[in-house]
Amino acid sequence: MTATEYALRTDGLGKRYRKVWALRDCSLAVPAGRVTALVGPNGAGKSTFLRLVVGLLAPTTGSVEVLGESPATNTPQVLSRIGFLAQDHPLYKHFTVAELLRLGRSCNPRFDQGLAERRLAQLEIPLDRKAGALSGGQQAQVALALALAKRPDLLVLDEPMASLDPVARLEFLQALMGAVAADGMTVLFSSHVVPELERVCDHLIVLNHSRVTLAGDIDSLVDEHRLLVGPRTTGDLGRAGTVVEATHSERHTTLLVRDGGLPAAPGWQASPVGLEDLVLAYLRRPARNDVELAEVSA
Amino acid sequence: MTWLTWRQHRAEMYTLGLLVAAIAVFLLAVGLPLHSLFPNGASQCLGIDVTEACSTAIRRLNEEHGYASKMLNLFSLVPFLIGAFFGAPLVAREMEAGTWQFAWTQSVPRMRWLAVKLGALGLAAALFAGIFAAVVTWYRQPMDVLDGRFGADAFDVEGLAPAGYALFAFAVATAAGAVLRRSLPALAVALGAFLAVRVFVGGWLRPNYQEPQRLVELVAAGDPADPGNPRMSTGSAADWTIATGYLDSSGRPLSLYDAVTMYSAAEKEGVKFSAYLHERGVQQWVEYQPTGRFWTFQLAETAIFVGLAAALLAFVVWRFKRRVF
Repeated sequence: MTATEYALRTDGLGKRYRKVWALRDCSLAVPAGRVTALVGPNGAGKSTFLRLVVGLLAPTTGSVEVLGESPATNTPQVLSRIGFLAQDHPLYKHFTVAELLRLGRSCNPRFDQGLAERRLAQLEIPLDRKAGALSGGQQAQVALALALAKRPDLLVLDEPMASLDPVARLEFLQALMGAVAADGMTVLFSSHVVPELERVCDHLIVLNHSRVTLAGDIDSLVDEHRLLVGPRTTGDLGRAGTVVEATHSERHTTLLVRDGGLPAAPGWQASPVGLEDLVLAYLRRPARNDVELAEVSA
Repeated sequence: MTWLTWRQHRAEMYTLGLLVAAIAVFLLAVGLPLHSLFPNGASQCLGIDVTEACSTAIRRLNEEHGYASKMLNLFSLVPFLIGAFFGAPLVAREMEAGTWQFAWTQSVPRMRWLAVKLGALGLAAALFAGIFAAVVTWYRQPMDVLDGRFGADAFDVEGLAPAGYALFAFAVATAAGAVLRRSLPALAVALGAFLAVRVFVGGWLRPNYQEPQRLVELVAAGDPADPGNPRMSTGSAADWTIATGYLDSSGRPLSLYDAVTMYSAAEKEGVKFSAYLHERGVQQWVEYQPTGRFWTFQLAETAIFVGLAAALLAFVVWRFKRRVF
């Protein structure tokens, strides 16, 4: 794959606020056209990662490349190719929806006003209403319409549904997936809700304790991992491949391993693992040391 | 970007425009009768020997327009209001509402966003303050002629300086907003900094923009004299007197103690204090800034505040470059 076939590539990316690292040693690549979920608990560094991707933050270490360009350069070219929907979808609350569209038009050369108007008309969001007078779900839809009207090649969304009620979540997700299907853009969004991912994503990044602990296409990740159940063992667990998580009951030990499907040791039973359990296992892991991390990212 | 700047800040534009307009209308209303007191210009009424009409006019000026000084002292906060209300929300409001993430991910690079905002709003602040100062300068013209323009009720609200003050207030409020990320605390910090710098510059620096001129002369027997400081005239009430004092016949400065001792001696002898000093060859001196230096001083004062504003705005630009948000 050439560089531009990756929508996003990071190398040793890190961001430090004063003495605290919000993100460190992040090296990954997301192929173009994927819908990628960035999963992690609150405070794991998701927002920092996304802000680095859209150029709102400059990295402390390493580099980030979006569509072959560095967002940190903040040029109009790279900005116009990235759409961003920040957490809580901030908008100018005293602007009417029409004024927000005018803002989009005056600040973006590729702005597709017709597209935004059609979307908002479909959702029956009145253009003369102030943004602050709309419901949370409607505000999110307006913010999404503005981001999509930029005609971005990469759309980045930070916890887009966190503040929405279940109905609004569903509508938002439908709007988002409809746009992805129509445009084929690359999407990267963060979430701490696992179940809704499987339906919409084909790529996954797990962020925990300021580090990337898992990254890849969901299908291959699920294939590479499996559960092994065998007699209770507390000693050397390294044999059966990389053990992600070990749980022990009185008589049995259950291992989540990433071994790419090696034959199971005698006395052990292998079974596939679901995406949700896989993600949860990675989220439950304690802070890792540098040696272990090198192993995973290698 | 131009439209966005206008749309986001038009409330401040309207409010501050209204404030300046209200002040202008008021000063026009009270200024016309003030100017009509001196139909041939106030310069006709300078000096000690003035016509009957002039002394009437000056008396009426003091009686009917005596509030002017207090009012103009209050107006010295107007440039702050103009600058700070443009500056404080510029960055801070985006931080408060989270909209910085929206604003700086459009296709306009954030440095351009900042340049347009700083340029447009800084210009508006300087323009509003300039209009305000122009109206005050017109209003005070007769008083400037009679009393000079170096007092706080004149120098601080006339000419170029208010535009400089407004730019400084704009810059300090913008910088405080960028650091504190909240508008109201930024406004409070800006007010404190503004007052501190104004007092320091006005009180300590301004008298020294140019070496003061100095007059020394023998105390005349008929001069009005106090033991503390000679009420020595520079020949024009419009000059700015910085300091006065006495020298003995050999040119050595007299301390206040010396002067008071001489004052009691004169009382004991039953002669006028000034006659007593005259007999002993005591000289009086005055250091002053001539009224003709007004515009030089205005330029110096404006340069200081524009310079400070430039430094503060450079700091904001540097923070934006470092992308600390």
